[in-house]
Amino acid sequence: MASGDGEGEGSVSGDIDDLESLISTTDVERLKRAWRQEKAAPEIFQFEAALIQRIKEQIQLMEETVEDFAESGIDPLTVSLYQMDLDRTQFLLRSYLRIRLQKIEKYMFHILNTDELFNRLSREEKSFAERCSNDLKMHLDENILSKLPDNYQSLLKQSIISEETDMVPKPQLDTFVVCKTKYYLGHIQLEDINNGNTDDRVNQRPLEEPFEMEPNVLYFVRYKPIKKLVEGGKIDLY
Amino acid sequence: MYGRKASRLVKELTNVEKGQLTLFNSDLFDQVIAECSQHYVELQSLIRKMQEKGLDVQTSKNEDHYGALIHHLALVRNKRCLMAYLYNRAETLRNLIWKVGLVLPQEVQEKLSHSEEEYFKRHSASLKSYMSRLDLDLVVDMVPPKDPYIQVRVVDNIGEGIVLSDDKTANFAPYSMHFLKRTDAEPFISRGLMEELTG
Repeated sequence: MASGDGEGEGSVSGDIDDLESLISTTDVERLKRAWRQEKAAPEIFQFEAALIQRIKEQIQLMEETVEDFAESGIDPLTVSLYQMDLDRTQFLLRSYLRIRLQKIEKYMFHILNTDELFNRLSREEKSFAERCSNDLKMHLDENILSKLPDNYQSLLKQSIISEETDMVPKPQLDTFVVCKTKYYLGHIQLEDINNGNTDDRVNQRPLEEPFEMEPNVLYFVRYKPIKKLVEGGKIDLY
Repeated sequence: MYGRKASRLVKELTNVEKGQLTLFNSDLFDQVIAECSQHYVELQSLIRKMQEKGLDVQTSKNEDHYGALIHHLALVRNKRCLMAYLYNRAETLRNLIWKVGLVLPQEVQEKLSHSEEEYFKRHSASLKSYMSRLDLDLVVDMVPPKDPYIQVRVVDNIGEGIVLSDDKTANFAPYSMHFLKRTDAEPFISRGLMEELTG
């Protein structure tokens, strides 16, 4: 990245601040964040459609630049530095898409049954999820379900008397994640108050103190209680 | 004993390391399916018995009711085991694509049932169609790149005249060494045809 010629010592610290804020807002940096979140979270996030579109355009532009450089005989070292930058961005993009596909493969029936999750997918991912689950459904149908008695042929339920879909693998939202925030966040409820059985007061544990998060400190907590804050961009996963 | 065969089937999954497959046990698999039908026959005959006595199937809790319940539960358990067997094998197959690419190694192919081979083909086609819509190959570039070029040695017969991404052809004679683009070399490495030389 070309920086301006030094214009006296006074502006140096200002330049560094500018540079830092510039770096943290580049698309590659945004992609890196999205990739990290996706890698660390148990469930799938909203597809970053606009960002991915921009990244793809930038990659194409970089490819053209590298090609031009190589043809016009610019120092091979410079070219290879550009190439390396390009490769890294391409790895991030591929890895981001790959992690999402792997999540779709793993939880396809759950995602297809949950509108909220299905709507987070890109158009291509949606059609992949549909094809993918059709493939697996056909496979399971052919070998098992069609050979079972009538009331036991459902893919999603154990038998006809099951009230909910009890055959669908779902992501483990209770898993622990490493996270950090830029803000001060108070009053995070770590206990499941809604799920608690109000009847058996005997076994009810006293509610824990509300959890607080200080800025820039690493925490290791269950994903579920902070899910909304992660989705809202208040907490970053690592 | 009810459910023993099904549990043996599931144990076959855990007897090998994660990511490995055993030979598809179609014999045991079919026996468990047959057991399911047997449970259903007995379940129905118990329900018929209750109906002949004029009892309400839902509310009367006599011995036939509990007998029927046992058969129902055994059937459901068998179903879960069968599904787990096939589902987990399918998952292993899908994950294999991310490790070795879209071509199934011979030694894995030998372990599959015919239907599993078909499933693998269909799934690879779905994945390919996603990648071609994006115009991006996702099965390469699996590790973060340190250097765009790597040193490799050919360890198997690859053949001559393979065209690389810069439109040049290379002669990959066995045991020759090359300095290649990582993305060019990766498919060969994952198929075990080349090895990366480090250090």
